[in-house]
Amino acid sequence: MTRRTLASCVVLLLGAIAARDAAAQPAPAGPGRLELSGGALWIGRTAIGAADANETTSSNGSFRLFTTSSDLAAAPSVDARIGVRLARSLAVEVETAYGRPELRVAISGDTENAVAVTAVEKIQQYMIGGGVLWYLPALGGPRFAPFVFGGGGYLRQLHDQALLVQTGRYFQVGGGVTYLLSSRQGKWLKATGVRVDARAVVRRDGVAFASGAHTAPAVGGSFFVRF
Amino acid sequence: MSRRVAIALLIVLAAAQPEPAFAYLKFGVSVSGRQVTLKWAQTPIRYVVTSVAVPGVSADDFQAAVGRAFATWHAVSTASISYQLAGVTNAVPGRDDGLSTLGFVNRPDLDRVLASTSFLVDMSTGALVESDIFFNSAFPWSVAPGGEANRFDLESIALHEIGHFNGLGHSALGETELRAGGGRTVLASQAIMFPIAFAPGSIAGRTLKADDIAGISDLYPAADFAPAAGTLSGRVTKNGAGLFGAHVVAFDPATGSMVASFTLNDNGQFSIGGLSPGPRVVRVEPLDDADIDSFFDATRQVDIDFRVSFVDRVVIVPRGGDSGEIAIAVVPK
Repeated sequence: MTRRTLASCVVLLLGAIAARDAAAQPAPAGPGRLELSGGALWIGRTAIGAADANETTSSNGSFRLFTTSSDLAAAPSVDARIGVRLARSLAVEVETAYGRPELRVAISGDTENAVAVTAVEKIQQYMIGGGVLWYLPALGGPRFAPFVFGGGGYLRQLHDQALLVQTGRYFQVGGGVTYLLSSRQGKWLKATGVRVDARAVVRRDGVAFASGAHTAPAVGGSFFVRF
Repeated sequence: MSRRVAIALLIVLAAAQPEPAFAYLKFGVSVSGRQVTLKWAQTPIRYVVTSVAVPGVSADDFQAAVGRAFATWHAVSTASISYQLAGVTNAVPGRDDGLSTLGFVNRPDLDRVLASTSFLVDMSTGALVESDIFFNSAFPWSVAPGGEANRFDLESIALHEIGHFNGLGHSALGETELRAGGGRTVLASQAIMFPIAFAPGSIAGRTLKADDIAGISDLYPAADFAPAAGTLSGRVTKNGAGLFGAHVVAFDPATGSMVASFTLNDNGQFSIGGLSPGPRVVRVEPLDDADIDSFFDATRQVDIDFRVSFVDRVVIVPRGGDSGEIAIAVVPK
């Protein structure tokens, strides 16, 4: 038996075990393999950089004209997901979210005493990505199913009137719980429920004035159906 | 076909010279009733240097220092401009001889003028034909790598004058204070094209700033720069009427860089070109009263009676486009 054939057999065997487990034992999240959900995601404030407007002195030092501190304000998003259960406790998901957070630049400390202001712009933010979700059966109950998840994807942020597009990546990790509202084994629609989660969303690039990762807390809530 | 046009182009110790500058950032000339941006039609731009030496600066030192200053402008990656040293001459800067000549001239009568740039313009096209720079040997000069106390750094002053040579006007990105004995001292600046020089001994003027780079890139854009660069434009009003001569600064919170321009007509309209795309904070300020003649014709009425203020929205500079007109209302002091 060649190495390739052996590897294929191992994969098939694992797939068979996963399928058998999923069929033979009740999944911790309840029935159904395909899950569609929609809801809301609230992403908290994210600091995205601070910068001074400096001029150069004759000794190559700095003379500060004013200072700025920028963030993406907390904002709600609408959120939709499609998930597929691969094994008893394991699911993969694709997710998309759309929100309109404000880009806020606080300006202060002007050397000529200009009144401090916060310059604001509303941006459109799209997040498209995927991840892996792991149910924790030992912590759950008949209707409750706790889980942890992680993933990432593509970040697309459009400035005012789509004059400029900035793109980046996001990553997220978190945990939550699903609650089954109904469960009907053997039916086409196998379950309905709600899901809440808390997560840390890490954004790279996109609308940011400092390099590196920018982390924000987030909470989500959604309604799902399973088939 | 051609005539010498005296455009102001002086870097001075204190008060600027009163000759008119037609526009900020770029000079303009009127050709057949229309305003044409003053620039060279062809590159490399050939120049010659004089063999005149002054205490502390030999002819070879002079040639090397101005060569470094030309190289600094040439090195701007977003601009396409180049220069060629065509030789050494005994000619004097300021003569209409078809040669762009740089050299020392002793002008003790110009006791506040370190250097000056003049142009010969083809008035049928608006193209530069010749540009001469004289450095006033009545002042003490230095080419020491680290600068020299009580002597002006030749490379720094040459960098400013070559900015004019390229067709750039003055920038107002700088702060000054009154000196006890008259005139003004520079506290800080963020543009080589600021009209007042740093104090003797300083070599801070050897490095181009974002404002200078935006200016030269706007005037001579590199092939891949023009499609990517954007402009920020708008209108400044006071009591509902357009305001002439307001200084508008675009600050990039991502890089900390500043690029600025003025409202240049009675409608209060301004446009800042050569900007990389991205969000900007916009600040509007009146000119320092002592600086007005460095930027505008003395006959123009420049309104300086308004408060410094910021635009309360983040302004977006698009890639290859314009921000759309930003309306900025300022209030009297």
